[in-house]
Amino acid sequence: MAGTATVLTDNSRLSRLDQGLHKIELLLALLSGLTVFGLMLLAVISVGGRNFFNQPLPGYVDWIQQAMPLIAFMGISYTQRNGGHVRMDMVVGALKGRPLYVAELITTTAMFLFIVLMVWGTWAHFQRSFDFAAPLWSRDSSMDISLPLWPAKLLAPVAFGVLTLRLALQIVGYGRAIATGTAHPVAVPLPLDMAAQAAMEAEHVSGKDD
Amino acid sequence: MDSIEIGLIVSGGLLLMVILGMRVAFAAGLAGMIGLIWIFWAKKGYDPEDFGWALTVAVKTAGQVPHSKVSSQALSLIPTFILIGYLAYYAGLTKALFTAAKRWIAWVPGGLAVATVFATAGFAAVSGASIATSAVFARIAIPEMIETGYNKKFAAGVVAAGGTLASLIPPSTILVIYAIIVEQDVGKLLLAGFLPGMFSAVVYALLIIGLSVSIKGFGPAVGGFSWKERFEALPPAAPILVVVLTIVLFVYNPFGGEAWGTPTEGGAIGAFVVFLMAAYKGMRWGEFRDALLETAKLSVMIFTIIWGVLIYVRFLGFADLPGAFADWLTSLTMSPMLILVCILLAYAVLGMFMDAIGMLLLTLPVVYPAVMALNGGEGVSAADATFGMSGPMCAVWFGILVVKMAEFCLITPPIGLNCFVVAGVREDLSVQDVFKGVTPFFIADAITIALLVAFPMIVLWLPMQA
Amino acid sequence: TEWNVSLWGKRRAFTENVEKLAELVSEKTNGEFTMNISYGGLSKNTENLDGISIGAFEMAQFCAGYHPDKNPSITVLELPFLGIDSLELERDVAMAVYNHPATVKDLARWNAKLLMPTPLPQYNLAGVGDAPKTIDDFKGLTVRATGGIGAAMAASGAVPTSMSATEVRQAMDSGVIRAAAFAPHAHMSFGTAEIATWWTTNLNPGAVNCPVVVNIDAYDSLTDEERAALDSSVDEAMQYYIDFYNDQTMAKWGPLIEEKNIEQVTFSDADIEAFKAAAATPAAEAWVAENTKRGLPAQELYDLVIETVAASK
Ligand code: NA
Ligand code: NA
Repeated sequence: MAGTATVLTDNSRLSRLDQGLHKIELLLALLSGLTVFGLMLLAVISVGGRNFFNQPLPGYVDWIQQAMPLIAFMGISYTQRNGGHVRMDMVVGALKGRPLYVAELITTTAMFLFIVLMVWGTWAHFQRSFDFAAPLWSRDSSMDISLPLWPAKLLAPVAFGVLTLRLALQIVGYGRAIATGTAHPVAVPLPLDMAAQAAMEAEHVSGKDD
Repeated sequence: MDSIEIGLIVSGGLLLMVILGMRVAFAAGLAGMIGLIWIFWAKKGYDPEDFGWALTVAVKTAGQVPHSKVSSQALSLIPTFILIGYLAYYAGLTKALFTAAKRWIAWVPGGLAVATVFATAGFAAVSGASIATSAVFARIAIPEMIETGYNKKFAAGVVAAGGTLASLIPPSTILVIYAIIVEQDVGKLLLAGFLPGMFSAVVYALLIIGLSVSIKGFGPAVGGFSWKERFEALPPAAPILVVVLTIVLFVYNPFGGEAWGTPTEGGAIGAFVVFLMAAYKGMRWGEFRDALLETAKLSVMIFTIIWGVLIYVRFLGFADLPGAFADWLTSLTMSPMLILVCILLAYAVLGMFMDAIGMLLLTLPVVYPAVMALNGGEGVSAADATFGMSGPMCAVWFGILVVKMAEFCLITPPIGLNCFVVAGVREDLSVQDVFKGVTPFFIADAITIALLVAFPMIVLWLPMQA
Repeated sequence: TEWNVSLWGKRRAFTENVEKLAELVSEKTNGEFTMNISYGGLSKNTENLDGISIGAFEMAQFCAGYHPDKNPSITVLELPFLGIDSLELERDVAMAVYNHPATVKDLARWNAKLLMPTPLPQYNLAGVGDAPKTIDDFKGLTVRATGGIGAAMAASGAVPTSMSATEVRQAMDSGVIRAAAFAPHAHMSFGTAEIATWWTTNLNPGAVNCPVVVNIDAYDSLTDEERAALDSSVDEAMQYYIDFYNDQTMAKWGPLIEEKNIEQVTFSDADIEAFKAAAATPAAEAWVAENTKRGLPAQELYDLVIETVAASK
C-alpha cells in the first residue's frame, strides 16, 4: 500500500510545471491542516462557553460541517502528487521501465476521466445551492443557524479542478517516459521498493525520541 | 440484464482495477460512476438517445456524494485523532512511556518484550493509528531488547504486533470509520474497543511469558529497579493519563456521574491538551507545520477513500445488491455462527492483500446488513436474536471483531504494513525477518479473536454500562 | 412503470403514507405501476430534493426544515405556535399551502411536485432536572431545538443548541442539554423518553413539515391510468397514515408516560399566550419580511395558514 513516493525533477518545462503546481498544492494542504487545528480550537470555545458562561457556541455543528470539506478535499492533489493515495502495488511493484509506465498511464488516464466527470458533478451540486437572486446567494443553508452551503460545496470542484491539472501533468509525464524509455522519469511519483517506502514513512515520526 | 447482475459485473471490474494498481479511492468512485450510468441507461432500455440523460443523471448523482458525505460532525473525529498522534510524539510521550513500563514490569520472564507490549498499549491510548505506533517503538524498544539478548527478529515482531493495539484502544480512526459506515454510536464503539484492546495486550504478554519460560535463553527478565526509580518514571508518562481521562470523560464518566460532552468534543479537547504539552516541550513552528501537513495528508487520503467508496455504495443502493446478499446469506442452511466465522476468515484472506480502511469501506456496505440480518435485524431484542445480543450491540460486537481482523492483517504477509514499517526503521532487519518474528503473535491473535467470538461480553460489558 | 422512492431510516409510522401509497397504486394498476422504496440507499435525507431535481429517483420524502433556503414557501408551516392541534388539521393546512401557486412554483425550481404531507403532531419538550412551570422558568434552559422551534425557545429565554437527533440522548445524559423538542415518536426512538423526568403536554410550539414529492417529468410521462391511480390514492394513503399514527404511536405514548412516572407539565392559557406573544408574532413577522425579499407572496401564504386554522375551529 503506497504511502509516499519520490518525484524526480529537472529543468524541463514539464518538471517546472510540476514544481510550480506543487507549491500551490502544498498551500492548499497546509490550509487543510490549519483547519484541523481550527476545529480543535472551536471545540475548546464550545466546551468552555457551555461550561463557564452557560452559552453554547451557536451553530457549533453547522460550523464543523462547513469546515469538513476544507479538510477532506483541499489536500487531494498534494497527496496525488506525492503518491499518497493508497493502492495495491503487487502488480505495478513487479513492473519496471516501459511496461510500468504503460500500466501507470492506463490507471492515471482512468482517474483523469473520473475526476473530470466529478468536476462536472460537484459543480452541478454547487450550482443547485447557489442563486444570484437570493439573499446571501443561497439556495441551500445549514440546519441550525442557516449558513449558506454554497461556499463549502464550491470547494469540491475547485480541489478536483487542481487535481485535474495534476493528473494531466502525470499523463504527459508517463507518455514522455514511454516515448523515451528513460529509467528516471520526471514529474511522476515513482513506486519505491516497499521497505524504502516504509523507511520514508517512518521518518515522519522520528527524530524526537533518539 | 437485471440490476443485481450489473452490480456483480461492476464489482468484478472494480476488483480488477484495484489489482492493476489504480488508487483504491478512485477505482471505487469510477466503478460507482460507471455502474450508475449503466443502471440509469438500462432503465431506459439502452436507447442510444437516452445515453446522454443517463450520463448526466449518473454524474450529478455521484457529484452529490463528496460534499454530502464528508460534511459530518462524527467524521471530524478522524483528523483530530490523527493530529493527537503526531502531537503526542512531539510532546515526547513515547520514550517516557517505555521507560516507565520497563521499570515497572520488566522483572517478569520475557521482561522487556512484555514491557514493550504494555508501552505500545499505553501509547495506543493517545494514538489513533497502528502504523505510527509501530514506527515509533521500533526506534526505542528494539535496540534495548537486542542489547539484553533477545532474538532481533522476535524483538521486531513484538513491536509490529504491539502497534496493532492502537486501533482497538481508543482513540481509533478505524473504529470511527466503522461507526460512520454502519451508522452506529461512535462513543459506544470507542468504549467497546478498550477491553478487547487490553485483552489483546494481556494475551500477547502471556504468550511472551510462556515462550520465555519454555525456551532457554529466550529473553531475560530485567529487574533491579528500585521503588524510587519506578516512581520517578511515572511523572513524565503521566500526561498520557491526562489525555486518556480527558477523552474518556467526554464519552463516558466511569465515576458514575455525567459525561462532559460528546465524543466529537472529547477528541478535539484531547488534541488540545496534547498540543499544549507539545508546545510546553518546545515544539517549533516547523515541527508543528509538519504535524499539520502529515495530518492533512493522512486525512485527505482517508476522506478520498470514504467518498470514492460511497459513490460505489450509492450505485450498490440503486442495484440493491446489499439486500440481495443479505437475503442470500440468511437463506443458507448453515449455522449462523459458522457463517460468521466464514466471514471473519474471508476478511483474513482479503486483508492479506488489502489496506485495512479500504477493505472495510469496500466490504461493509454489503457484509454488515447481512450480519445484522443474520442476527435477526437492526431492531431485534437480545432475547430473540441469533447471537443473543440486541441489534445495536451486535453492531458493536461485529465492529470490534472486524477491526481486530483488519489489525491482524497488518502483521500478516505478504502486505503486513506494520512489518514493512518496522523493517523500514531498522536497517539491520529485512521484511522477511520481521514476518518471521511476528509469527507467534498470529497464534495470540487467533486465540483473542476466538475468545471475543465465544465471550461477547468482553466487548459488550463496557458499552452496556454507558 | 417502476419508480424508485427515496426515504431514510427504516420503515416506521413516519413512512406509512408512502408504503400505503405504493401498495394502493400497485393494486389499482394490477402491478403495472410499482414503487421500489429504498431506505437510505439512494440518497442522504437532506439531499432528496437534489435527487428529485436531477431525476435520479421519481419520488422522495424530506423535511422543510432541513434546508429552508431550498423550499422557503413551505417553511411557513414550521412557524411556531400556529395553533394546529390535530394531524387532520395539519394535513389540511399543509395541502392548502402545497396547492398555492407560489408554492407550486417554488418547488418547480427543483422539478418537484408536492404530492402529500407527512403530518406530525406538535413537538413538545421532554427533559431532566426541574420542570419549567411558567415562561420565566425557560430562562437559561438548554434545549435541543432547531428551526422555528429553536427560534421560539430563544425568544422565551431558553438556550437552544443544535445537534443531530442521534446525539441527543447522550447530550442529555451528559448535561450538555436539559431538554429536547421532538414529536412523541422521536422521543421514543431517540431514547429521550427513557430518562426524561418531565414532559410538556400543551406547549405545542410547532412541528416540522415533511412532504412527499414526485419528479414532474416522471409524473407527466405516466400513462393516464397510472396517473389516475396515483392521484386517487393520495387521500386514502394519508388517512391510513393518520389512523396508524394515532392508533399505534400516540396510543403507546400515554401509557409510557404513566409507566415511567414522567411529570406532565401543563401550561395555563395565560402562559401559552405569553409564549405566543414572545415567540410567535416576532417569528411570523421576520418570516414574512425575509421571504418577501425572496419574491414570495409571504404575507398571503401566512394568512392562508392562519385562515385555514381559524376555519377549522
Ligand atoms: Na488508539
Ligand atoms: Na496483510
